[in-house]
Parts: sequence; C-alpha cells; structure tokens
Amino acid sequence: MKKTYGPLIAAATALLLSGYAAVAPLSAQTVLRLDEHAIGEIDPAKATDYADSIIFYNIYDTLVIPAAGGTDILPHLAESWSIDGQTYTFTLRDDVQFHSGNVMDSDDVAFSIERMMALGQGFSSLFAGVIDSVETPDARTVSITLTEPYAPFLGSLVRLAIVDKDAVLDNLAEGDYGDLGDYGQAYLTSTTAGTGAYTISSHNPQELTVMVKNANYFLGVPAEAPDTVELQYAIEPATLRALITRGELDIGDQWMAPEIKAAVSAEEGVSLGQVAGISSFYLKLNNQRPPLDDVHCRRAFALAYDYDAILEQTQVTEEIAFGRRAHGPLPLGVLGSDENIPAGRFDLDAAKAELEQCQYDPGEHEIQLNWVAGNPIQERIQLMMQLNLGELGYDTTITTTPWAMFTELAATAERTPHVSPVNFILTTPDPDSMLFTMYHSDAVGTWASVDWVMNEEVDGMIEAGRTETDPATRAAIYRDLGNKLVEDQVSIFAYELVGVFPIREVVHVPALQDEGRTYAVQGMNFMFREMTMN
Amino acid sequence: MNLWRYFLGRLLGSLIVLVGVSILIFGVARLIPGDPARIAMGPMASAEQVELMRERLRLNEPVVVQYGGFVRDLLRGDLGISLYTKRPVTSDILSTLPATLELVIAAALIMTLIGVPLGVVAARYRNSGVDRAANLAALLGVVTPSFVWAIFLMLVFAFALDIFPIAGRVSRSAELPPTITSLLILDSAIAGMWPTVLDALRHIVLPAFALAMGGLGTAARLTRANMSEVYDRQYIQLARAFAYTEREIACKYALRPAMVPTLTILGLDFAIMLGNAFLVEMVFAWPGMARYGVEVIIRKDLNGIVGTVLVISAFFLIINMIIDIVVAYMNPRIRFQNR
Repeated sequence: MKKTYGPLIAAATALLLSGYAAVAPLSAQTVLRLDEHAIGEIDPAKATDYADSIIFYNIYDTLVIPAAGGTDILPHLAESWSIDGQTYTFTLRDDVQFHSGNVMDSDDVAFSIERMMALGQGFSSLFAGVIDSVETPDARTVSITLTEPYAPFLGSLVRLAIVDKDAVLDNLAEGDYGDLGDYGQAYLTSTTAGTGAYTISSHNPQELTVMVKNANYFLGVPAEAPDTVELQYAIEPATLRALITRGELDIGDQWMAPEIKAAVSAEEGVSLGQVAGISSFYLKLNNQRPPLDDVHCRRAFALAYDYDAILEQTQVTEEIAFGRRAHGPLPLGVLGSDENIPAGRFDLDAAKAELEQCQYDPGEHEIQLNWVAGNPIQERIQLMMQLNLGELGYDTTITTTPWAMFTELAATAERTPHVSPVNFILTTPDPDSMLFTMYHSDAVGTWASVDWVMNEEVDGMIEAGRTETDPATRAAIYRDLGNKLVEDQVSIFAYELVGVFPIREVVHVPALQDEGRTYAVQGMNFMFREMTMN
Repeated sequence: MNLWRYFLGRLLGSLIVLVGVSILIFGVARLIPGDPARIAMGPMASAEQVELMRERLRLNEPVVVQYGGFVRDLLRGDLGISLYTKRPVTSDILSTLPATLELVIAAALIMTLIGVPLGVVAARYRNSGVDRAANLAALLGVVTPSFVWAIFLMLVFAFALDIFPIAGRVSRSAELPPTITSLLILDSAIAGMWPTVLDALRHIVLPAFALAMGGLGTAARLTRANMSEVYDRQYIQLARAFAYTEREIACKYALRPAMVPTLTILGLDFAIMLGNAFLVEMVFAWPGMARYGVEVIIRKDLNGIVGTVLVISAFFLIINMIIDIVVAYMNPRIRFQNR
C-alpha cells in the first residue's frame, strides 16, 4: 500500500499556523512590559547600570530619596536625621517589613553598609574611605560617623539599599568572607531581600526579570500600579518597534535610534516620554596633550563645534529631541547648575582668533578624533569636527575604538585621544558624583576623566564642595566651578542628554510624562508604584 | 571493531585540540585591549578597589600560573565568575546553552529535511524548470545573510501577517515543564504538555528558518551536484535496466554515496551555526548563548570569553566526531584507511 504523509503534514502545518490558543490567557491583572539595553543585576551591592537601577529602586529602599523635580533629599526608610559634625544619626521608621516578613531595624542598615564595603563593587566607591564607623544604639537608631566632612554623603545614600540581614545570613554559600561565606552573593543574585514596592518573581539576567507587587509595602502600592512588571533585556531595535506597535511592549528603552522612535511614536496609542536633567554629552579634550594643553587651542576647538547642526541631529520629532543646549558641565536642575553660563557657540572666525594666541601652530600636531564603536552619532560629530578643524588648518585622523579599547586608552594621558565623546549620567542626585569623577586629579585614568584636567584650583573647588555642608554655599561653589571649567574650556559641553522613551497609552509614567516629576537619579524615574495602568 | 578504534582515535584527537584551544583562547582573551578589572568596576571605583578586583581575578600572577588555576577550577566544573553577569560562568552557560542548542537543532533539521530533498529533486529533474527553481531558491538561501532572513521573516510572518510570535522562546503565560533535558520542546513533550509544545514550536519556526536558510541552500546545491555525478554512473543505468523505480534509484543507490560529502559539510554547518546564531537570537530576542558570547567579548569578561569559546569548541568537535563516525559507517573505505 502506498504510504502518503501529505494529509499528516498539512494537518500539522495548519495547527501550527492556526494561532491555536496554545496557552491559557493571563488573568485580568495588569502587566507592564518594558525593555532595557543591558542585562539586569539584582544584587544591590553590585548594581550600577540603567537596568540595575530600575530594579534597585523597585525591589529595595534607601534611607533617603531625592525629591521629584528638585534637589532636596527627603526621608524614606529613615523618618528623620540629625547631623552633628561628621556624625549622621538616622531614626528609622518602625513600620517597614522586608519581603520575608522580617521587620527592618538598625542592624539591617549596619549590615547593608558592611556588606557593600566588603564586596567593594557597585557604588561602594561612593563610601570608600568616607565612613569611619557605624553604631546602632537601638533598633531604630543608626549613627554613621564619617572620616571627614563629606557633604555628598546624604545624596550618596540613595545608592545604599537596605537588605534583610537575617535572610542573607540564612542563605550564605561558601565563599571568601570567613564566617560570612559568600556574603549572600549567590542568594542575592537570584532573589531579593529588600523592602521595595515590588518583589522578584523570576530573574534571568540575560533575558527577563519579572516583578510583582509587594502587598505589605510600607507606603502602600496603589491599585492602579501594574500588578506584574516584565523587564526584558537586549531586544533588537526592529523587534522593539514591532513589539510596541503590536502592543506587546509598553515602554521602549531610550537607546533606540531616533528614526525608530519617531516611527513608533507615529503609531496610534504611542507617545514619547522624556527625562532631562540627569545626563550630559561632552567632547572631552585631552588637557595634557599638545596642542590642547593650551587653553587658547581648546577654546578654538570649542568654537569649531557646530552646536546647532548637532542638535538638529538629535531631533526625534519636530517637538522632541534627545539633546538640548548645555550650560556648563552640569545638567540644568542639578545643585549648582547655572543657566547663566553661556551655551557654546559656533564661530570659526573667533576660533581663528583664539588660535592666534595659542602657542602651537595648527600644522605642528595631527589631531586624533576618536569615537566609540556602536555610537553612530559620535561618528557624525567627529566627521563634522574633522571638517571644521580642517578649516582651521589642522590635520586630523578619526579613529574608531571598541569600548574595552577606549577604557585602555583612557588609562594614560599620552594614549588618550585628543578629542573623545563621552556621555555621563548622574549616579546620585549630588553634583559631586559627576564633577569629582570627571574633573578631580585623583579620578584621572578612566573613560569619564579623559580630559585629564589635573588642575589644583579645580581640585580645591571640588574638595570645597565636598566639605561645605550648607546647600546654598555648595551651590555657589559649584556655580563658580562650572564657570571656571567653561572658562578653561576643559571639555566641549556639547549638549544635555534628554532620555526619550516610546510609551503606550495603556500606561502613565509621571516621571517621564509630567513636567517637574523627574528624579535626578538614573533608573529612579521607573518606580512602578508611581505608574498607573488602564 | 574498526569503527570502535576509529572512534577512540577521533576522541583522543579531539581532546588534544580542546586543550590547544583552551591555551589559545586563554592567551588571546588576555591580549584584547582593556583592563577587565577597571571595566568591571566602573569609573568611580578607587585604584584600591580596582586592584582588589585584579587580585580576585588573579591578573597579577604570571599567565602560566593563571592558566594552571584555570585548569584546576575547570576540572571541578568551575569556569569562574562572569564580570558581565556577576554570576558563575557555568550557570550563565547552562542557562543559555539549551536555548541555542534547541534553535540550532531545529535549524539543522530544517536544513537537512528541506535542503537534501530539494537537492534530490533538482538532481532527479536536472536542467528542468524544477531544477532551475530549486537552484534559484538554494542560491537565495546561500547569498542572503541570516540576519536579513530574520528581519524579513519577522516583518512578513510575525508583524504583517501575524501568523507567528515576534520574539521569545515561549509565551509568558505558558506553563513550563519540569526540566529534564533543558530543551523546552522536548521536555514539554515528555511531560505531555502539548499546548506548550505547540506554543514553543510556533516561537521557534521563524528563528530556525532564518538560521537554516544559508545551510539549506548549501545542502541543496551539494546534494544536487553529488547526486548528478552519481546519476551518470553505470550502476544507475543498470538499475534502470532492471526496472527499479526512480524513487528507489534515488533513495537507495544515488543518495547514499552522494550524502557522504554533503553530511560532512552539514556537520560543519551545524557547528558553525552555534556561533552564527547571535544575530538571529538578537532579532527574535531568543535567550541563547550566542548573545552572551558577544557581550562578554565587548566587556572583556575573561572568564566568560574562555567559557563560551570552550563550550562552542567542544560542541564543534563533538559534532564533527559524530559526523566522521557516520560517514565512516556509510563509507567503509574511510574505516579501512584508518586501520
């Protein structure tokens, strides 16, 4: 008998193509789906990246939080604090429970600090050499004494997550920390021991983190906030576009190309949310490498940068751009930022006049313009610089380096390119996290400090900002510092970065859609408890 | 017995190659520019913190000592901690490798089950319209990169026609089977969870086709060329004279000898797909290992790089060994040459 497989194959194909409801639909609970470019790290002592920060501010809490739309620091897990010289004494809330049900107390705070410093990763550098001792006179009081006056301390605390000491100690694995084994690293890489408004339901750092509401959150979580949140990682732009258009993703990441954001926002039911005031884009000039060790040459370079032309390239739609004019090194809104600092201007005649005063002739040095592979706008900027510097008589070479190579070049002033584009995002609401990391002599040798400023006066001003505790005086110090850095033209302050996110109308994100509700910390604008879903 | 000796010889050769690869990749990973400790710790870390990380990674020790430590840990199944994910590399690979393997196996099946018959049909109807059409389809498969196929298939069959899902390995709402092999479709089938099997099949169709298209074209063209050569031999004429049907001639007498070189190439294609799956995985947000491999290189995650390359190399060698044995089984001359 002749065997025939035709009907069988046809049936299987039909079943596959039918879109047969293979799996049960989700219940009526609301599910928020968003994506981030990089993978998510859920151990709060290791978290640094954007995705890490989004998770951090939803599954953990901190003693203090920054005010939305401002620079004030507000109570959070600590209901109040007092400052006596170098000692900060916090009084903790008594109504906070961890996800395990354990009540949060001062031992948990002390343990969280010890753990972060022992692991020495993540944002531990904010506290390295800063904390002298931690005391817990009673369950609701924590006294932290600093080694020296350090004004950014309060702001830095927004990066200190309070972890459940008992839960961690109950889940120690073998490790390098004696009786503390691995200090709970294996445990906290797969689950949460926090107090946050959401808790981890499942976590695969390369694919997806699922978070669900914490019914016992001490501030309560509104019913309109998403019940479940799915944070997906590393989705290709074309796929993102398709997912948002089909309603399978609610918030797209800010790293999508402008043309894709524009196309997505043209779809029905999709709008663009924005967050500004937390990051800036710089063309870093190597202040130690001739001819840029001469301020007049640096000023000539800054005058050869076509600010308007580049801002045009940041335009996503007619109304929305991912760049806006920069006024000095700090994004507007940050403590010490100054809108009176004039924005840069493009003027080749003025550039030529500055060159007249420079000790070097343009023909003496070939200028290396670098861009980091994978950032097409950086390439466009360097091509524009090549053209304009050519007008001034400079020979230039454009080099493309992978990220790892760039970090290697940044290690010495001799190998750091003359001009390097760099994005920098505030890691805490305090301007010190930006200014010290980029411009202090002790911080040179990293990708963030490729200007190699190494200026005693600048160092002195940064240190004065660190030790001054009065906010108004600090703001004045940073304004002076901003003016000094612009006057010395240590970098080209190209533009302030504006994060632009496609958002479907099913969700409202106050920090991205309501003016004045932005938090000046990376990731904090994605606190899901503040969002509402239709 | 001959086949057994042949297998042992190939196994020994593969182990030597694997040791060589481990030395090579261990050295090369350290030549990639960039200080892994500094990259991992970020720009705000102090010099002391970076130094501490360097010590943890044994980077201050001579490379030979580092390699010795690596081999010691490897023998315990420990590939170290990834600076990228901050988790053990072994866990990272174990959590992503099954997804890639499942995708590559599906692509290999498509490549073989469509490519070879396409070649057989083209050979059987040489120089006809069917042959030319098959040739054109095969050529299109070969010359178009897999990521172009991925985007094309996604836009047409997922986005525009809405027949298949856009991304992922399975629907979020799907009930997942208990882990047995870590291959989702197989585990779901073993557990009798047919809705999940169907859902996972719908997810894998497009990425598997995108990944298979190049190899499918190669398989078709190779099969066609080899079978055409066999069809010209006298014993095929003899079979026809004995009134064997064309199907019997094709399947029994022409395909088997023609498959020897085709199988070798298919084996290589299968192994190469493990590395090439990256772009397809990116387009379909497939949670596989290829994406992990690229990220660890960009971030100079030494343990991640060495672990990923070793696993891909091991699979490459295993697949080649299997193919060599199958080919030796099909072609006794190979076995006898190696006596």
